[in-house]
Amino acid sequence: MTSRQFLIVVAAAQGVLLIALIILIILNRWVRLRRRAKVHPRRVALDAVMQRWTLNQAGAADVLRALARLPVPLAIDALVTWSARVAGERWQELSHALEHQWWARVVRANSRSARWWKRLESARFLSVAATSHDIGRVLRLLRDHHPAVQIAAATTLERVVSPVLVTAALDQLPFLGPTVQAYYASVLKRARPAVLRHLQQLFRRLNDPRLPRIIEFAGRLQEPVLREPFTTLATHADPEVRTQVARALGRFPHAESVAALGFLVQDEAWPIRAQATRSLGMIADPATLPLVRDALRDVEWWVRLRAGLALTRFGGAGRNVLLEAEVSAHAEARDMARLVLGLSPQALAEYAA
Amino acid sequence: MTHVIQVTDLVILAYFLGLNSFYALLLVLSIPEIWEQTRLAEDEDFQRLMQSDALPPITILVPAHNESATIETSVTAILTLEYRSFEVVVVNDGSKDDTLERLRHAFELYEVPRTYPEGIATKRVRAVYRSRTRTRLLVIDKENGGKADSLNAAINASRFPLVIAVDADTLIEPDALLRLTRPFLLSSKIAAVGGTVRVANGCTVGDGRVTDARVPRRFLPGVQVVEYLRAFLFGRLGWNRLGGSLVISGAFGLFRKEYLLAIGGYRVASVVEDLDLVVRLHRYLRQRRVPYEIPFIPDPVAWTEVPESGRILSRQRERWHRGLIAAMWLYKSMLFNPRYGPVGLIAMPFFTFGEALAPLIEVLGYVITIAGLALGHVNVAFALLFVLVAWGYGMLLSLWAVVLEEASFRRYGRVGDLARLLLYATLENFGYRQRTVWWRLKAFFTVWKHRQVWGEMTRKGFKSTGKQVV
Repeated sequence: MTSRQFLIVVAAAQGVLLIALIILIILNRWVRLRRRAKVHPRRVALDAVMQRWTLNQAGAADVLRALARLPVPLAIDALVTWSARVAGERWQELSHALEHQWWARVVRANSRSARWWKRLESARFLSVAATSHDIGRVLRLLRDHHPAVQIAAATTLERVVSPVLVTAALDQLPFLGPTVQAYYASVLKRARPAVLRHLQQLFRRLNDPRLPRIIEFAGRLQEPVLREPFTTLATHADPEVRTQVARALGRFPHAESVAALGFLVQDEAWPIRAQATRSLGMIADPATLPLVRDALRDVEWWVRLRAGLALTRFGGAGRNVLLEAEVSAHAEARDMARLVLGLSPQALAEYAA
Repeated sequence: MTHVIQVTDLVILAYFLGLNSFYALLLVLSIPEIWEQTRLAEDEDFQRLMQSDALPPITILVPAHNESATIETSVTAILTLEYRSFEVVVVNDGSKDDTLERLRHAFELYEVPRTYPEGIATKRVRAVYRSRTRTRLLVIDKENGGKADSLNAAINASRFPLVIAVDADTLIEPDALLRLTRPFLLSSKIAAVGGTVRVANGCTVGDGRVTDARVPRRFLPGVQVVEYLRAFLFGRLGWNRLGGSLVISGAFGLFRKEYLLAIGGYRVASVVEDLDLVVRLHRYLRQRRVPYEIPFIPDPVAWTEVPESGRILSRQRERWHRGLIAAMWLYKSMLFNPRYGPVGLIAMPFFTFGEALAPLIEVLGYVITIAGLALGHVNVAFALLFVLVAWGYGMLLSLWAVVLEEASFRRYGRVGDLARLLLYATLENFGYRQRTVWWRLKAFFTVWKHRQVWGEMTRKGFKSTGKQVV
């Protein structure tokens, strides 16, 4: 083939592709409009049936029929939306009825799909329609490698109480990002007894590299029975563990917490000092005021900022310390005191958060 | 002579085939990427997660230089973004107009002592202000040092672990920050994330928000809509799969602050600071073997006003290309260097040979073709066929960007807008493309002008509710 012939072939192929693309763009619009026109009334009909069903004016069979008429993703969306509006027992009836629907069986089978969006669809469906028969599937989805699937699967814990699932979710925690962890924490709060039992076991594994993340999560639960293990861990060799302990103890106003924080506020690592100072401010025990005053003269800016903000929580005594620092000879403490005293209450709240 | 022309023709043909094959690869890779990103963007669980308290706090860095016309609207719009925890640091970079006065008046600023540590050296900070009405706002007034210097000053003053640089003339969609943090939730390896920048010209803007997306009727801003779609929707999405995107738009990119501090922030001497920053970020993280990702996600959107006059557009393009050439030259040690992984082996060669040198090759192609025709060494039909194929391929790429837009986000709902998009995608190759080649070619003669300047742009400003930006 000569280069000229080659170019002719390429030009012809391009011409065909150009026309195909333009047709594709126009067809895409047309198909979307048609689909919307077709599906929208069905969605409205489903909402109406759901409404009647919640008022006991329609049976579950009507709801199932209306759901089956929708494309699967839209049916799942509708289920997720309505699950928040219907009482638990009544919703469970629907969940059990859904077990025998052909499309629901396909969605359940998708929990093993190689494509993550299929697994996500399955996890979303199970998050509102899982029954005791689905524990194995949810377990698999909780251990999925895709975070979106994990998040959807974790939502199941709001509806299905299972120690097996709680343990699996807790074991996943150290490998999750902080935000997803926080989401897990909000979900796992509902299964508190099982969570606390498993956490106390995890706290005993002192050399476990996952310990800092477990402490971070446990701190979010603000459960009084966890205070004691926290104070014990204040002398742990790992600075990350001590940082998390210093952060968590602020949520436990207790003499032992204050004692542990008094120790941590003198740690050689500045992130630990900063967290401990912040926690002392949260507890605001007048006896710890000298410690926070010293922290205002710390060599590290972040510790000084935390100390300045913590002092605002000590009421008049803390304010006096800041006013003294504002005219003191210590330039860095003086600047920080000026900054903190100049902040409005709302700005202080935002800084403290 | 005939031999020279034939060899040059062959070289140009090989270059053309190689480059276009690579574009085809990007095009193919962008399909699964946009599919996945659209799925994630629509995931309601994610949306619920994003409304939780646990999102990472963000500092928004807004450098401003002579932005008097838009500063109040822009900052107000930024302050009302849908995000739980964020602060806004506006840096007035020695503006000669009344940018600072406008800010002072609009947000009731009061001076506070400057107490934060100076992690990156910058020009002298004259004063730091907080607002009585907007507690999230911090304003820094400093001596003029350029955009990079302003961004560095803002990084110094930022409190939060993630920072996003936003141009003062950019309108961010209300949920864009929420969307932009999505990769940070999905992976702990994310070093930076880029979002989509779209053209605001022609759109209806109300209260600092684009309320009705339109494709401009005028050719010059209209054709830039197609360019932006092409650059963002298939170029950068394709690079996600190759693991080596070099560009996160300076107008809209979210970075992990610790990495910015580690590399010394933005390079003040750089002409195009965003490209320079991302290349240095890659270099730093690769050298230290830190596992990282720098993805682009298409659904967070920021709108920007693009030049409507050829004069200003030419300066912008010349400056962008000058920055590209300078960056490729400065970091040439990364080129074909396996130490830098896909960045050294794919991205740097592509940006050097496929982007930076492209205008030279294209002009050489035109010159050789014309010379060959004049001397009778090139067949007229063949030359026309070659030009037809080259331009046809350009049209295909532009149309593909329109297909991706239609299949995913569909911002331009009206049939008239779609028709204009198709028209501009078709006409782009006839005249406009050649003008951009000329503008970019000029960069080779001015590349040694290193001084960083604010890109000159005559702002019309975003008018209040119901008015169009024209």
